[in-house]
Amino acid sequence: MNIPPRNLIGVMAFLALCVAGVSSVYAQAPGSPAVQFPYTGNRTAVWIVAQLHTLLGAFILGAPIFVVMAEWLGFRKQDPRYDRMAKEVTKITVILFSMTALTGGLFIFVLLATYPQFTTWFVNQFYMVFAVIYPLLFIVGTIVLYAYFYTWDAWKGEKKGRHIALGVLLNFLCMATMFVVNGPTSFMNTPVQVEGISAAEALAAASLWDKIANVSWMPLNLHRIDGNVAFGGFVVGLIAAYMYMGAKNSEERAYYDWMGFVGNLIAVGAMLLQPFTGLLLAYEMCDYDFSFCPYMMADQLSMFFEMQGAVIGVMFLGCNYYVWLNLRRIEGIENVRMTILAPIVMVLSPVVMVAVFTEYWIPEPMSLAFLVPFVLSPFIFGRFIPLTVSVETIMKVTFLMVVVSTAIWVIPNGFAATEGRLTEELQLPEAWEILGKMPTKLGAIFSLVFVTVVNYVLYGRVIRQGTIVWGKIDGVSQFLLIFLAFTSIWAMGLMGAVRSLLRKFFHSYNLIPDFTAESFTPTLSSSAWLITGIALVFFVIVSAAIFIALRSVVLKEREPEGVPVHAGNK
Amino acid sequence: MGKVIVKVLIGLVAAAGFWFTSMAMGFPPVFQTMFIVFALTGTFVFLLLDVPHTTPPSGVVGLISVIGFFCLVGLGYGAAASLWPQFETGDEQEKIAKVLNGKENPLDPWNAEEITNRIKELDEKGKALAERMKNLGGDQSAVAAAAAVASVAPATGGGGEGGGGDIMKLGEEQWQLQECYNCHKIRGEGGKKRGPELDNIGSLLTMEEIKLKILDPKSFMAEGFEKEWEKGRMPDKFKDVMSDSEVVALATWLSEFKNTSVATPKPIKKK
Repeated sequence: MNIPPRNLIGVMAFLALCVAGVSSVYAQAPGSPAVQFPYTGNRTAVWIVAQLHTLLGAFILGAPIFVVMAEWLGFRKQDPRYDRMAKEVTKITVILFSMTALTGGLFIFVLLATYPQFTTWFVNQFYMVFAVIYPLLFIVGTIVLYAYFYTWDAWKGEKKGRHIALGVLLNFLCMATMFVVNGPTSFMNTPVQVEGISAAEALAAASLWDKIANVSWMPLNLHRIDGNVAFGGFVVGLIAAYMYMGAKNSEERAYYDWMGFVGNLIAVGAMLLQPFTGLLLAYEMCDYDFSFCPYMMADQLSMFFEMQGAVIGVMFLGCNYYVWLNLRRIEGIENVRMTILAPIVMVLSPVVMVAVFTEYWIPEPMSLAFLVPFVLSPFIFGRFIPLTVSVETIMKVTFLMVVVSTAIWVIPNGFAATEGRLTEELQLPEAWEILGKMPTKLGAIFSLVFVTVVNYVLYGRVIRQGTIVWGKIDGVSQFLLIFLAFTSIWAMGLMGAVRSLLRKFFHSYNLIPDFTAESFTPTLSSSAWLITGIALVFFVIVSAAIFIALRSVVLKEREPEGVPVHAGNK
Repeated sequence: MGKVIVKVLIGLVAAAGFWFTSMAMGFPPVFQTMFIVFALTGTFVFLLLDVPHTTPPSGVVGLISVIGFFCLVGLGYGAAASLWPQFETGDEQEKIAKVLNGKENPLDPWNAEEITNRIKELDEKGKALAERMKNLGGDQSAVAAAAAVASVAPATGGGGEGGGGDIMKLGEEQWQLQECYNCHKIRGEGGKKRGPELDNIGSLLTMEEIKLKILDPKSFMAEGFEKEWEKGRMPDKFKDVMSDSEVVALATWLSEFKNTSVATPKPIKKK
């Protein structure tokens, strides 16, 4: 393997800094005060390492789902492109698996150095998880991953089913690892609670399972599963974009164009579920302690949610724009048309959805009784209406409605970071207060998802009926793939920060207060710059992994094959 | 080019329309500006649809473009987040310091830091004592040792009570610190109809009953707030995060609110 050392400098420098920062932990006597991390402070140091570890973890847990799906599709369709893509992504996953383990170890060291008392207490609470179950799953997962990777070429043809089964086992292990580690993570937000007794008493009476299966555990599992798949898909798009730009011939360009297309398709499919699983998580947390709700939506974190709305809106715009650029190179697009009912329903969707949710707040079934027929109407009744519109018209209506829905989503009830500081000049007029209400936000999110789904249904029709000219996609699309990967990471970082900050000034909510000076809620601005920095470091690592894993293959393929020469002729 | 001009014109007309319509509807300028940003974003999106076909850069140019693009996007997100109103961290830091003041750290039951300080202090006293013993002679040593121990003892005892203080002031402070205003309205401030308005709570509940409600939110249900009571909207955490004296102060302060002109819903005893 030919790895130019300069490509590793960035990663090595970062790791060296981290190791230097935590090395003093070994010199500590038990019971001595926490280390003060230089330059960043303790909380920021933990934040950086934890988020980096989570991002890498998200990829290595999400990618195998993507990989096995691709491998299975390749096997079923007998299309070698899927198999190649799956193998390339696995190569990168293998490298990032070790980076995840490394940052995980670093995370524990930094935690021990900066919050020794809490970390000891926390590990004791989940001793079986941290000392036995999690390492065991990680080790077995690593072995299976290596076995999966190294049996790729050996288990071909008739043995392909066996290889796919191994991939399924890998996914099972990855999923179990995530579920297990989500236990302690969610516990910090929503520890065991029993009505009528104190939190400490409830904890004392709780079993390990009670601690793991806390109220936000399963919603967090679901949110992270589809989040990881979406993220995996976007990173595949990123890989494809890099390789497309570096491709030397039209075959390679065609293949990586296709890879970006598939990665994006899977990512968007999973992303469409994200708002709902996220909402479920928020719902369960607010149900656990209602003070989370105003803290998130009206107080300290309210502007984080404004930013989230804007970022998600931009992501939806980006996904739909990618479709637009894809459609430009499909031949026969002019033959595809859609019922006029579709754009009408799309335009009406924000109003109808806001009205329904205002009247029937989810999970009231009546909301579905209205909305299911509404969203299905273009597909059911459309065939009886002879009037149709072009693909371009539908696409333009989609863009318009994405902008409108995002606008509705991000209009705040009050333009202040805390409800306590609201003045009339910063607040919506009374007659328009509805714009700031939760049902309105929910209606906007549903509308955003709905118009994108219609767009992708149309996209599917065009792909089936037209001919895609692979390798001829607009150059802007490759930057769009990079943009979507970065934005999905950024959104993950932002919402991860929100989840973690919900503990307020507690390490573990209501149980262990954080007495350090850093236990306050940071500003959106400082959090955003930090998230940006972490995302950039993550991309340096991923880009290095892509370069190491895939560049060498390209070089090898281009090596001129030597002509065999008889030894005696030399 | 013609298409671009048309789209820009439509965007500008829409922005102006939003500005004047929202002004007529009584939206404050900050929202009007926001609507203009939406109109301009929409225009930008529609302009993007007409961007001519490009080929992606490759080689060194491609590498520089990708790095530059990452920096640009990162900078964009950081800057965009900085444009939103920022939370005043100083206020919260002050609040947290007050809430945690005098609270025990459950992870440090022996208070290691305090013990270390005391050991140091005693060590110094011991040294001083030895010095004095040298100067005064052996018969004075017992008296001096007793005096030294007595001088250290008060420094370590209690300290959390803060010397009495005005209970009403403490109660109002607890209202702020525990962020009760997020759900309840009092003196026309706070609340978003998440919980009942409390201006007349003193006429309906005694101090003891209010205290009970704070410690066990299920003990009383406000009329008209059946759903909220059923779902346990009032957090059941104050027994863990507030000391008894703080709860008493808050309950006492609330029990003084007897403004009969405000329709505080009737509490119904449930437990």
